[in-house]
Formats: sequence, C-alpha cells, structure tokens
Amino acid sequence: MNKIFGVALGILAAIGGFVDIGDLVFNVAAGATFGYQLLWVVVIGVVGIITYSEMCGRVSAVSQKAVFDAVRERVGFKAGLITLIAAEIVNAMTLTAEIGGVAICLQLLSGLPYRLLIVLAAIVLAIVVWIVNFDWIERIFGYGGLCLLVFAVAAVKLHPDWGAVGHGFVPHVDTGNKLLYGYFAIGLLGAAMTPYEVYFYSSGAVEEGWTVKDLGLNRLNAIVGYGLGGFLSFALMIVGGALFLGKGIDPATLGSIAMGAEVPLGQIGLLLALIGILFAVAGASIDTLFSGAYDLAQFCGFEWGRHKSPAGAPRFTLTWIVLLILAMLAVMTGVDAVKLTEFAVIFSVVALPLTYLPILLVANDKAYMGNYANGRLANVLGILYLVIIMIVALTAIPLMLLTNLGQG
Amino acid sequence: MGSPRIKRFHQHHPQAVTRCLAAVCAAALLAGCNGGTVDQHALKQDAGTIASLATEGELLANDVSKGASTTYFARVQSDNLRKQAANLADALGSRQTSAGIEPKVRKAGKLAGQVAGQLARLHHHPVNRTVAKSVQHRLSDLSDEADKLAK
Repeated sequence: MNKIFGVALGILAAIGGFVDIGDLVFNVAAGATFGYQLLWVVVIGVVGIITYSEMCGRVSAVSQKAVFDAVRERVGFKAGLITLIAAEIVNAMTLTAEIGGVAICLQLLSGLPYRLLIVLAAIVLAIVVWIVNFDWIERIFGYGGLCLLVFAVAAVKLHPDWGAVGHGFVPHVDTGNKLLYGYFAIGLLGAAMTPYEVYFYSSGAVEEGWTVKDLGLNRLNAIVGYGLGGFLSFALMIVGGALFLGKGIDPATLGSIAMGAEVPLGQIGLLLALIGILFAVAGASIDTLFSGAYDLAQFCGFEWGRHKSPAGAPRFTLTWIVLLILAMLAVMTGVDAVKLTEFAVIFSVVALPLTYLPILLVANDKAYMGNYANGRLANVLGILYLVIIMIVALTAIPLMLLTNLGQG
Repeated sequence: MGSPRIKRFHQHHPQAVTRCLAAVCAAALLAGCNGGTVDQHALKQDAGTIASLATEGELLANDVSKGASTTYFARVQSDNLRKQAANLADALGSRQTSAGIEPKVRKAGKLAGQVAGQLARLHHHPVNRTVAKSVQHRLSDLSDEADKLAK
C-alpha cells in the first residue's frame, strides 16, 4: 500500500515537474499563432520523451550507467567530448533562461527589482540544493508545479471550440505560413523532448540503485508521469488558442502567459498560475543544474550524486555552483529569458541526436543488455524517433533563421 | 570503440554546428540591433506588434478595472509591455524608411508611443479602477488603429 502511495506521489510530482520554461513559452505561443492545430505535435513529443527516458532508465537499471557513462563508452572520448560540450551549452542556456524565469515570476508576485531577484533566486536555489534532501526538493517543486493545473481550468473556462481542439490531434497543416508552422512544430517537439530531463532521470535511476526489478517502475514513471504531464501542455496550448489567437496577441512574456489564467479566473487564477510557473521553472532549474554537473562528472569519472554531501562529491558540487553563478551572471546582462528559451529549445533539438543515438544503440545491444534489450515495440519507436529527431535536428536552425525566430 | 556510423556522424557534425552557430549569431545580432530599412513587410509586422501590445494592455487594464488582478502584477506587467512599446516607438522613429511609406511608419511610431504612454498610466496607477477603465478604452482604440495599419 505504501509503495502504491509512493508511486502515486511520485507521479503527481512528475506531472507538476513536467512543464518547464520551454513548454510554457512554446505551447502558449503555438496556440496563439496556430490555435489548436499543433496539438498533435505535443502527442508526438510526449511519446518521444517516454520512449527516450524509458530506454535511458532501462539502460541505467541494467548497467548501472547513466547517459554520459554510456555515451563515452559507446562513442569514445572525442565524439563523447563533442556531445558533452553540446549538452553543456544547451544546459547553460536553459539554466540561464530558467533563472531569468524564476526572477520574472518573483517580480510579478512581489514587485521587487528584477536584478535583485535574480541574485535572490540564485542564492535560494543554491541553499535549497545544498541543504534540502533531494526527495523533498522533488516533492516541493513537483507539488508546487501542480498549481499549473489552473491552466486546465482556464482552458475550459475560455470555452474553446472543442471540435477544433479534437481536430488539432489529427496532423494537418491549415495555414499559408508553412515555415512558421514547421518552426513551431520543431519547437514543441524540442520543448517536450528536453534532453536535460533524460540525463537527470537516468542519473537518478543509478543513484536510487535501480536494478532490473525496477524496470516496471521505470516504465510506469515514464508513461504515466510524462503522459499526464503532457496534459498540461495541451492545456497551455488551448489557452493560447482560445484567448490570444482571436485577439491577435503575441504572448511574448511570462506575464502574458500568466494572463491566460487571470483573464478567465481573476486574481486567484493569476496567483495560482504565477506560483505554478515559479515552482515549475525553479524545479526545472534545479534539474538542469544537476544535469549539467552529472554530465561532466559522469564523462570525467568524478564522484557524483545529489544524495552525497558536498564533501563526498566535491568536484560535482563545484560544477553545479559554477554553473549556477555563470547562469546568474548571464541573466544579469539583461538577456530576454523568453527569447533565450526559444534559442535553448532549438539548440537542444539540434544536439538531441548526439545522446539519443548512443542510448538507442546501447539499449538495442543484446550483448550489453541481455534479455532487457529493446523489444519489437521499443525498437520500432526508437528507430522511428531517431528518424524524426534527425529530420528535426537538421531543419531546426534553417527554420529558425527563415522565420526570424518565429516572428514570421 | 564505437561503430563507423557514429564516428562519421561525429566527424561531420562539429563543422555543421559551427556554421549554424555563426549564422544564428549573425541573425541574432541583426535582430537585436532592430536595424535595417522599414519596408512594407516590416511595417505590417511592427503595426501587428503594436496592436498586440495594445490589446494585451487592454486585457490587463480590464482586469484591473474589475479588481481581477494584483497590484504588483499590474504594475510590473504594464511596465514590461510599456518598455516593448517604447522601444518600438524609438526604433520606428529612427530607422530608415522605404520610399512612399514614410507617413505610415511615422504614424506607427506615434501609435507605439501612445500605447507606451497609456501603459505607463496603468503602471503608475495599478489599483485605480477609473484610470484602468480609461486606459482600457484608449488602448482599444489604439489597437484598432494599429490593426488598420497592419492591413
């Protein structure tokens, strides 16, 4: 009974922790630009992240190796180093955008100066990571992120055309601007299949000491956690379509996204939206922070672990501290968190094959994985997504340039 | 150590990434400078942005007038929108213009300035419902004007 309760709590935290700043920005902007037409892309993205994280979790449970262990072992030092650099650049961009996002939310809640809040956000995150037990970090930010469910209520209250919403789940292109449509499709896929989430997930599996006995839990976590988390993405896009599209509003700030709950639900909707965004983005920044430290430590063979004391894993600790300081300094330059998010998502898509391909190869390697190598379904999905990811990675930058960062 | 396919992939990828990074940086610089001549297409886009900012401000002002927002949110968000409108007004006032559309560009710049002005009123009076109602009506008119310009 306790185990079922634990799994349920974990899933709730996963739902609340699914949405990050990339999901917020791209889902609402896609809704505001194309209505519900791109809902089908979210489904593809969610199935993609389920496929990817299930493979990573399985590889970790069977081999006790996280993503960057497997990458270095499979592709060697040079290629692995390129992958590491690409992953760290994307991580740093994402972290910077997230710290900025946390500061913006705090400012919208408190009215205090933005730069002061950037420093405050970084200090509070560092203290939380330093002193709070990780299980509690996961719960606090995951449950806080559940406030984002207010967007589901807002979506219903905005009375969208449910027929059009249903039609959105069927792939179709109903616009003259196919390049912009393509750009948003890629952004949505990138936002759903954020690599840092997978690095974090697989490292967690190693740290929790998963074995083959935990493969059922791995599957359940991946399918239910990410699947239900995707529900929030639908809600965000529906809000974007129902509220902003008809009025011709381009929601270019996090405050605009929060207005998606304020307009239909008033003050309480606004506060829940801001608290939900704050917890979701702050939780994601902790995941990203750890992810950056995990990647480097696993690649270089340092001691690592979020459950270890700073003295037990000094280089790991130093890495996340340096990453946090760099991100804080980058936000202080005045970079636009929302624009940076778009860059981070697009670059994450470009870098995605670098880690996806080695993991697919390892998960498919019977000599390595034994009876737990990819089955038929995992293989079909794995290869299908490899094709999708390659196409998306190759077209992401050209589309970003051709659409002037999605401005049309 | 690794399959030939992976090795080939990693041999080719860094150059592609470098080229793409350079292209993106150049594009970002251009976009960041808000430079170049304002042509018909740019005018339409900028007018659309002005209409978007005005409409979003109108929604916010409406919520303030109903007591459906919070003081800090209204103050900060109206200022965020104001800064965007003011930047656009500055850019439209200083950039070169294609022949024949200069009056429209100047009008767009003026509209952006007026939108910024209304948003500044909301920023300074985030709990005053009377001011919010007046700002809402004015922004609605400005949004309509910007929409006409965008067509």
